[in-house]
Amino acid sequence: MTLELVLLPAAALFAVGLYGALTQQSVVMLMMGLELMLGGVVLAAAAVWHHVAPVAEGQVLIVFAVTAMAVEMAVGFAVVTALFRAREIDTTDDAAKLRG
Amino acid sequence: MSALLWALLAVPLGGGAALAVGGRPADRYAPASALAVSACALGLAVACALTGPEVRAPLLGGVPAAFAVDGLSGLTAITVTAVTLVVLVFGTVDIGPGEARSRFFGLMLLFSGAMLATVTATTLPALLMAWEVMGATSWALIGYWWRDTERVRAATTAFLTTRAADLGLYLAAGAALAGGHHGAGSLRLDALPQATQPWLTLVTAGVITAALGKSAQLPFGFWLSGAMRGPSPVSALLHSATMVVAGAYLLLRLEPLLRASGWGGPVVAWTGALSAVAFGAVALAQRDVKQLLAGSSCAQIGFMVLAAGVGARTGGTLQLVAHAAAKSLAFLVAGFWLTTLGTRSLPALRGRTRRHPTTVVAFAAAALTLAGVPPLALWATKDVLLSAALADSAALYAVGLVGAVLSAAYSAKALWYVLGPANEPSRPLPPAVRLPLGLLSLSCLALTALAFPPAIDSFARVVDGSASEPRTWEFVLSGALAAAVVAAFLDRGPRSAAISPAWARRWLGLEAAANRLLVRPTTRLADLLGAFDGRVLARAARAVASGALVLARWVDRSWERRLDRAVARVAGTAGLLGGWARLPQTGLLHQYLAQAVSALLVAAVVLVLVR
Amino acid sequence: MVFRFDSMARATYALLLALLCVGVDVLLLGLDYLGVVVVLMMTIEMALMAAFMVMFMMNPAGLAPMSMTHNRRGAALLSAVVFVALAAGALLTPWPSRRGDVPPDPTRQLGRSLMGGQMLTMMVLGLALFATIVASVVLATRRGRYDRFGDDLRGRPAEPAARGGLPR
Repeated sequence: MTLELVLLPAAALFAVGLYGALTQQSVVMLMMGLELMLGGVVLAAAAVWHHVAPVAEGQVLIVFAVTAMAVEMAVGFAVVTALFRAREIDTTDDAAKLRG
Repeated sequence: MSALLWALLAVPLGGGAALAVGGRPADRYAPASALAVSACALGLAVACALTGPEVRAPLLGGVPAAFAVDGLSGLTAITVTAVTLVVLVFGTVDIGPGEARSRFFGLMLLFSGAMLATVTATTLPALLMAWEVMGATSWALIGYWWRDTERVRAATTAFLTTRAADLGLYLAAGAALAGGHHGAGSLRLDALPQATQPWLTLVTAGVITAALGKSAQLPFGFWLSGAMRGPSPVSALLHSATMVVAGAYLLLRLEPLLRASGWGGPVVAWTGALSAVAFGAVALAQRDVKQLLAGSSCAQIGFMVLAAGVGARTGGTLQLVAHAAAKSLAFLVAGFWLTTLGTRSLPALRGRTRRHPTTVVAFAAAALTLAGVPPLALWATKDVLLSAALADSAALYAVGLVGAVLSAAYSAKALWYVLGPANEPSRPLPPAVRLPLGLLSLSCLALTALAFPPAIDSFARVVDGSASEPRTWEFVLSGALAAAVVAAFLDRGPRSAAISPAWARRWLGLEAAANRLLVRPTTRLADLLGAFDGRVLARAARAVASGALVLARWVDRSWERRLDRAVARVAGTAGLLGGWARLPQTGLLHQYLAQAVSALLVAAVVLVLVR
Repeated sequence: MVFRFDSMARATYALLLALLCVGVDVLLLGLDYLGVVVVLMMTIEMALMAAFMVMFMMNPAGLAPMSMTHNRRGAALLSAVVFVALAAGALLTPWPSRRGDVPPDPTRQLGRSLMGGQMLTMMVLGLALFATIVASVVLATRRGRYDRFGDDLRGRPAEPAARGGLPR
């Protein structure tokens, strides 16, 4: 379990998440991509904490990232719900205009 | 003490100014108030002459305006105010109720007030101011009937001529300032002789020029002929005690300056003597009583100038006083005839003058005085100054005698016309005329006493002159000459009256010469300059303007278009960039995400590479 | 692998799996508490996600083959570049050797710091979560109190509360 061995999958996770976020039309799938990206961040942070600087701040960073995940999910789904209620929209392409 | 002198200056000047601007509403009160002011001024003049006050007021830095009354100026002031009063009394008759009396009397008072300031001034700036006011009011008075263009033209000629000569005084003032170490720099008249060379020469030349111009001596005399077109009281005042006397007075006062300069005295003396002869001839040739009297004025003032040139202050002043009486008397009578008989021509007057016998007597007194017939005043005063000339040079004395003979001749000529046979019933004179005529006739006789001891000694003391007592043979010679000439003329009557050479009748052609030598070249130069202005300068200005237009069009064509295109290009580029800036704003979320990631990526790479 | 599935549910499970792997990794790296937190959170989250999928997505069960993607090439390129960059960063960075030791009880370390030096962070996170709850509810409800009762909440209900369920 060297540092690089963990960081590479983290980078891969991040990249795959980014790919998903960029390609998916469905809002839900887009948010999955974002989750994956943040997962990569969590993984990388944990690795760096373990291998480079085992201080409390690293752990706090991870807590921060996890919180960001939760917030993102909640707000994202709330926004999607509101959009859907208002304009029957569930894909990003349909939300291109500010007013329907 | 000094309040007297301020009052002497302020009363006629203030009263005159008030009347002159009073306009027609003041006409009714003008004669009475003018007479009151004039009488008051006469009293003040006598008081000042007795006390001899001096005043000064700050004017320029280190150059005060100062006035003082000494013997010479006191006597002159009394003469001026007395003659003014007498003339104004006559003026109440001559300038009738229909005329603009307020303007007339106001200007007359201003005129005599300016003369008073001139004779009492002791510094050049004060003298210059008074001198100028006198010139300006003389113009206004000669052109009093301004609806007549001829009169206005005569007034303009007089004003321009004297004014041109007046520039000499400005030159003198400038030169005195330039050459004044401690003394003359203060511009005090009595300090002028202390100026250093070459400024002294300039001062002298300037003063002489101004004085000769004002006094209508050679070569300036012609303006006096035109000045006859003014009202008779104006002529009486202007010829006897004010304007033309001012030049002679100035020369008499500045006699030390003439002496200091060395050449001034002889020049002035000879100019005066020659003027006496030349204008005597002019007077002899005239057929118009006022013109004859004008020529006589120039000639008689020539004697005063001659006196100033030879340093005979006593004789000159005596001549001044006596001539003032005689000449104002003669003019008043001539003016009265002009008003009542409507003519100035001597032949037309012959026989008609008997309508008022008193005027004939008065004119005879004046004419005989002018002729220098004993025992009248001018006979004696002329001898006093001629004896000084004889002490200077015999030639000068001889020329002076010729002038005296000529004055006897023209007086006799005028007298012959006046004493013609009666052809009209006589009428009484108005008292306002009788009083001045009587007074002046008496003074013509009484002033003779001044020319003989003991009066002349005290007179000389008063005026700071030398009492050069003429020898008896001089008195006898001149008296006999004058009497003989007058008798001969009256005897030969019409033939002698016909003497009238054209050159003398036309005032020696002086005016034509002045026109040819000065006026016409000046107007020609003005025309040339006008043409230059119109053809060259205006064209240049127009060329500049059209050049500016051409330049503007060229700039419009070449640069403005370019600038316009550049501006349009800038605007187009801005629009294009704006269009490009709108491109990333697709509204598509995933594209925004991609853009953000790319930007962050670039930033990260840059950060890593830079650090 | 998450995005290869047609079925949304399956995709969700794949994502869960991936994130569980992350949690396990974190555990392996010695962060017991955090790993457990991640695992728990992701499990719940994916369950929620599945519910939302059923709500919003056209092909929850993947019964019809379809693709709902756009801009694949650009995305692939961009993510490849990002991956390369991150990998290069991970491999090329001369990582410093560990300063200090892994603490024997990282959970205690985290707790002490959160309740001590990092208290501000903790409070901010708490507030953010609370704001999130409020905001999500506000955004997601169909009609709030003010819609139903007007501005004055003390008045009678203007109309009965909206029936739940799908609009008919």
